[in-house]
Amino acid sequence: MTSLVHYVLQYGIPLVFINVLLEQLGVPVPAVPALIVAGALSRDGKLSSTHVLLAALIASLIADYVWFLLGRRFGYRILRTLCRISLSPDSCVRDTEARFERWGLKSLLIAKFIPGFSTVAPPLAGAAGKSTLAFLIYDGIGSIIWAGSAVALGRAFHRAIDRVLAALESLGGWALIIVASLLALMIAVKWAQRVRFIKQLRTLRIQPHELKEMFDRGELPVVLDVRTPGARRHDPRAIPTAILAVMEEIDKQLGDLAPHQEVVLYCT
Amino acid sequence: MLIDKGYTKVRPLAGGLDGWIDAGFPFESLA
Repeated sequence: MTSLVHYVLQYGIPLVFINVLLEQLGVPVPAVPALIVAGALSRDGKLSSTHVLLAALIASLIADYVWFLLGRRFGYRILRTLCRISLSPDSCVRDTEARFERWGLKSLLIAKFIPGFSTVAPPLAGAAGKSTLAFLIYDGIGSIIWAGSAVALGRAFHRAIDRVLAALESLGGWALIIVASLLALMIAVKWAQRVRFIKQLRTLRIQPHELKEMFDRGELPVVLDVRTPGARRHDPRAIPTAILAVMEEIDKQLGDLAPHQEVVLYCT
Repeated sequence: MLIDKGYTKVRPLAGGLDGWIDAGFPFESLA
């Protein structure tokens, strides 16, 4: 047996554990491909699917509990840190907050299937003061559903995956280089998207001192507080004159505001 | 969403509410 499959079989469970742990901590190393391959190998009797699921469950619970505690300790501020390290510019804190407020802890059941939401949901649960036991139960069930789906997918398509593994195997040492290059390419693309997104935001953003100067000049821009009701309860401070925006009623709230009127919005 | 509705000058506040308060500017309480 040559190197790649040999290593996967020898270190399969620890690899799954480390992969899931890193991904759930926020490192951009997708764990689903590893879970699918592990599922295929378990179908062939080369790995135990129970051990794979247990490794994924424990890794998820450890990483998510760390974020939960950080959310509890630092509140909604931790979300800003998460956004800074996230490589998913399309995930917005407000969207995830709104989703969590709508579904509560039940959102943890499907959080891992939604890009961007997976890492943000546990600290949100901590910041919202949810009970540790309830969090661990919902998060554990959600982790099993997520990892179980990937393993089941691997088991269902084990023949195709075996063929891919065999092809990689025939490439010898090149297989690792190809897999590593694909991973590096994926991270580079996401990183480039993130840099472009931040650059775009920088040109759009207004600095606090610029807003203050506008107030001082009597320009009175429309200031919108776009935080969710939960975030406002958590931190009841607001910028004077700010309109507490309710997205469903935003047209009514803005009334007949002229399209060229300066609008400044802020969240946590 | 606001830009889609036709508003042309929509800008997010850098640093959000925390950035404003950390800069020492006035705030009010919603409570």
